[in-house]
Amino acid sequence: MNTRRRHGPRSNEEGVYLGPSQTQAHLQQQQHAPADAPLPYAPPPADFGSGSCRDRTTEFQSVCRSLQSRQNGLQPSKPAHSPVRQHSDFTLYAKRIGRNLSNTFAKLEKLTMLAKSKSLFDDKATEIDELTHIVKQDINHLNKQIAQLQELVRSRGRQNGRHQQTHSNTVVVSLQSKLAAMSNDFKSVLEVRTENLKEQHNRREQFSQAPSQYNPNSAHNFNAGNSLLIQDESKQPGDVSINMDFRASQQMQLINEQNSYIQSRADTMQDIETTIVELGSIFQQLAHMVKEQEETVQRIDAHVDETSFNIEAAHTEILKYFQSVSSNRWLMIKIFLVLIIFFIVFTVFLA
Amino acid sequence: MKLFSISVLFKGATSSKPNLLKAAYDLSSFSFFQRSSVQEFMAFTCSLIVERSASGSRSSVKEKDYMCHTYIRDDGLSVVVVADSEYPQRVAFSLIDKVLDEFTRLIDSSFWGTRSPDTIHYTGLDPYLAKYQNPREADALTKVQAEVEETKVILHNTMESLLQRGEKLDDLVARSEQLGDTSKAFYKTARKHNSCCKMM
Repeated sequence: MNTRRRHGPRSNEEGVYLGPSQTQAHLQQQQHAPADAPLPYAPPPADFGSGSCRDRTTEFQSVCRSLQSRQNGLQPSKPAHSPVRQHSDFTLYAKRIGRNLSNTFAKLEKLTMLAKSKSLFDDKATEIDELTHIVKQDINHLNKQIAQLQELVRSRGRQNGRHQQTHSNTVVVSLQSKLAAMSNDFKSVLEVRTENLKEQHNRREQFSQAPSQYNPNSAHNFNAGNSLLIQDESKQPGDVSINMDFRASQQMQLINEQNSYIQSRADTMQDIETTIVELGSIFQQLAHMVKEQEETVQRIDAHVDETSFNIEAAHTEILKYFQSVSSNRWLMIKIFLVLIIFFIVFTVFLA
Repeated sequence: MKLFSISVLFKGATSSKPNLLKAAYDLSSFSFFQRSSVQEFMAFTCSLIVERSASGSRSSVKEKDYMCHTYIRDDGLSVVVVADSEYPQRVAFSLIDKVLDEFTRLIDSSFWGTRSPDTIHYTGLDPYLAKYQNPREADALTKVQAEVEETKVILHNTMESLLQRGEKLDDLVARSEQLGDTSKAFYKTARKHNSCCKMM
C-alpha cells in the first residue's frame, strides 16, 4: 500500500490525472508504459513557443492531492518533487514548432507594417517581396511540421495511455488553429498590399501622364507658329499631320508594347489560377473550423440536457413537498376533529 | 471606359496607303456638330498609324485622351481600335484578334486590296463595338478574374463570421454550464426541503 501511495504523486507529476478509484489498476499500466515509451511524458513546458499556454501543473497537482486526501482520509501523501522535466520527442518537437510559429508571427507583423505604409516614392518593394516570400515559405514549412507531428502522435497511439493521446491531439489541434489564423492574417496583408500597389500605380500614372501631355504643348508652341490649339486640331487635318507626327513619335517611344500583350494575358491567367487554388485552401480551412466548432456545440447540448434533467427532478421534488405539506394539513385537521369529538363525548358523558 | 471606333484596314505590300475596308464608330459622347469631324479625324489617324507601323506588330498609341490600339497582321490585314485611356489594353487586343479572325473567315482575301467600305458586306463590327463597351463583361478573362476575387472576399467574410460564431458558441457553453449548475443547486435545495424539516 505504501509503495502505491508513493507512486501516486509521481503519476501526477507526469501530468495524467487518474481517478482515485482507478489509481491502482492504472498505476500498473503506467509503470509499464513508461518502460516502453522512450521517455515518460511531461506536460508542455511553460515556454511553449507562442506563449499562450500557461503551466498549471502545480494547481493540478494540488487539486489531485486534495481529492486524494479526501478519498483516502488520513494518509498524507508525500510532497511532490519538482516535476521532472523529461522531454519526450513529442514535446521537443511541439516546442520547436511553437517557437517557429512565434517567429513567423513576428515576421508577419513586420510585413503588415511595411505593407501599410503608403508613401509614393519610398516604396520598399523588394523588401516586401522578400518578406512575403520568406513568410510564405515559413508557413508551408510549419504546415509540414505540424503534419509530421500529427503522424508522430498517431503512430504513438498504441503506446500512450488514453489521456496522453487526448493531450497530444489537443496540442496538435491548437497548433493547427494558430497556423490557420496566421495564414488568414497573411492573406489579408497581401490584399492590402495589392490595393496599395494599385493606388500607387494610378497615382504614378496621373503624375507621369501630366508631363507627357505638356510636352506636345510646348513643342507645339515651338513648332510652326500657327496658333493651333489642341482642341482645333480635328478641323485642320493637314496641319495636324505635322503635329501628330511629333506627338505620335514621342508617345510611341513611351508606350510601344509589343510582347506585353501576350505577357499580360499570361499573367492574368496565372493570377486566376493562384486565386482559385487559394479559394480551395480557404474552403478546406472553413470545413476544418466548422468541424472544430462541432465539439463545442456538443458540449452545449450536453449542458442543456443536464439542465433540463435537473429541473425536471427539482420539479418533482417540489411537487412531492407540496403534496406532503398539503396532506399534512389534512392529517392535522383530522386529528383535531378526532380530539374535538373525544372532547365532546367526554363532556357529554360527564354532563 | 469607352470604345470609340473599330476599323479594319488592309495594308498591301505594294501600296503605301492602307485601304479602309470597314469601320464602325460610336460617337455618342461627342456633340452633334463635332461628330463628322471626329469621325474623319479618327479615320485619318487609323490609316496613318497603320501606314507607319511595321507588319506583324502590336502597338498602342496615345493621342490626347485616346488610345489607339493597333495590330497589323503578317498578311497585311490590320485592325485599329480607338478607345479612351482607361480601357484595358489586353481586352482591346483580344477584341482585335476576334475581329481579325471573323473578318478573315467571312470576307475573302481577294477583296482586301481593292474593295471599299460600301462594297464589303460585313456587319460584325457594330455588335462588337456595342458589346465591348463594357470590357469587364465582354472579356472572359476579366470576368472570371473579377468573379473569383469577389468569391475570395465573400469567403473571407464567411471565415470572419465563422470565427464570431465560434466566440458565440464559447459564450453559450459558459452560460449553459452556469444554467446547469444553477439548476443542480435548485434541485438539491428542493430535495433538502423534502427530506428534513418536514414541518417547515
